Amino acid sequence: MRGPLPLAVAFLAGMFMIVSFFSPHPAVEKASGDFLNWVSIVSGFSILLGVVSIAQNNLAKVKRRQKEWPYAVVLLVALAVMLAGGVLEGTDSGTVYDALFQNVQAPMMTTMFSMLAFFIASAAYRAFRARTLQATLLLGTAVIVMLGRIPVGQAIYDGLPDLANWIMAVPNTAVQRGIIIGAALGGAATALRIVLGLERTYMGRG
Amino acid sequence: MSLAKRLESLDRRWIFLLIGLSVVLPMFLPITFPERITSQTQALYDTMESLPEGSVIMVPFEVWPSTLPETEPIARAAVRHAFRRQMKIVSLSNVGGGGPSIADRVLREEGNAAGKVYGIDYVNLGYRANYLAVLSGMGTSIRSIYQTDYSGTPVDSLPLMRNVDSYKDVAFIFAIADNATLDYWVSIVGERFGAKIGAGVTAVMAPKMFAYIDAGQMVGLLGGMKGGAEYEKLLGLPDQSTRGMGAQSLIHLLIIAFIVLGNVGFFLSRRNARPA
Repeated sequence: MRGPLPLAVAFLAGMFMIVSFFSPHPAVEKASGDFLNWVSIVSGFSILLGVVSIAQNNLAKVKRRQKEWPYAVVLLVALAVMLAGGVLEGTDSGTVYDALFQNVQAPMMTTMFSMLAFFIASAAYRAFRARTLQATLLLGTAVIVMLGRIPVGQAIYDGLPDLANWIMAVPNTAVQRGIIIGAALGGAATALRIVLGLERTYMGRG
Repeated sequence: MSLAKRLESLDRRWIFLLIGLSVVLPMFLPITFPERITSQTQALYDTMESLPEGSVIMVPFEVWPSTLPETEPIARAAVRHAFRRQMKIVSLSNVGGGGPSIADRVLREEGNAAGKVYGIDYVNLGYRANYLAVLSGMGTSIRSIYQTDYSGTPVDSLPLMRNVDSYKDVAFIFAIADNATLDYWVSIVGERFGAKIGAGVTAVMAPKMFAYIDAGQMVGLLGGMKGGAEYEKLLGLPDQSTRGMGAQSLIHLLIIAFIVLGNVGFFLSRRNARPA
């Protein structure tokens, strides 16, 4: 569907949701709630689409014996087992799905994430250099915050935790607020462009 | 080989080894330090203490399994505090990749330890797709989004949910988060529907959250393992976060030492490179 119909649907739905934000009328609230339900249902189907897509891609990889195809087999088997477990038995504690999640998936994801500590330490050693005034300021701030966030910092200098908290609460907050306001304005502008039909990439074209 | 050259060409496996030891050693030789309570943690604790006993609070588990070492101790501290004050917990997750399972495990374990009953003292609503729709929809009616809980039990059959159908029926939201869904809890649930929100987040997320605290959009914050340790101290129940601070202290000191050493090598090699 690339004609005016999707544009009209996007415009009407977008305008209705904007109006519903300001209207406390029960009928508008009810319709708005129904719209949000539809969004949730459509999103559910998009997840299904993603699962089907990843299964198809990996199945093709195995069939053609493409590079690293054994990993695709692992993915497909894991997908099938989790899916079968979830559908046949549910996801409660004590089920196959839950056992696999708690004992395989969660530890693996935690392990992957914990690798960051090693790479951050290595990167800090190799790249965190006081080459310029700005880099030196960043470096000094980082050291103060890192020390202030651990009890040893307090042992070194009693005022360090308060100084670290001040850095987080004042200069950091000022910067974060600018980023948040900028991102929000960008998001609002993009939403408006979609509602008005100026942004059409969601239909598969520019 | 000169000191500068040695420092510049240090094999990174030494760095990995030292980091590994810094994490592992405190597990066998626990090191604990006194924690100074930050104002953000104190504010969150005070808010929980100010709620009447038996209040219904919402504890969203917006976490991926990857951040569990940081977020799970915070979640446990929050749940323990709530149960200790006889509060009822409504939990849910907008993280399909594990959030509901984590919530289920933490709530059941803490619930069993506190003698709480599922459906009466706490419920886990689970996951529904599209967090924007879920957060907005629950402002009108939780039932319009969740007809059943995580296990498929109809929400209407859960005694706790009989008087809970929107944010108006919830005294406080104590979100546990490691991702940007928390921004929408603040902007949609807090701002649009007027819910009172506090959060326990990963350390990397904490800097952004200070803006919400300063604007009064969040009442308090637990930032990473340190926030968890502070909360455990306030509760008088030192646990995983407090123990983890030993490893975190060593790691921070080690990284600072690496930064200093790296810069010593950098300045020495720059001085050596200057023409005589």
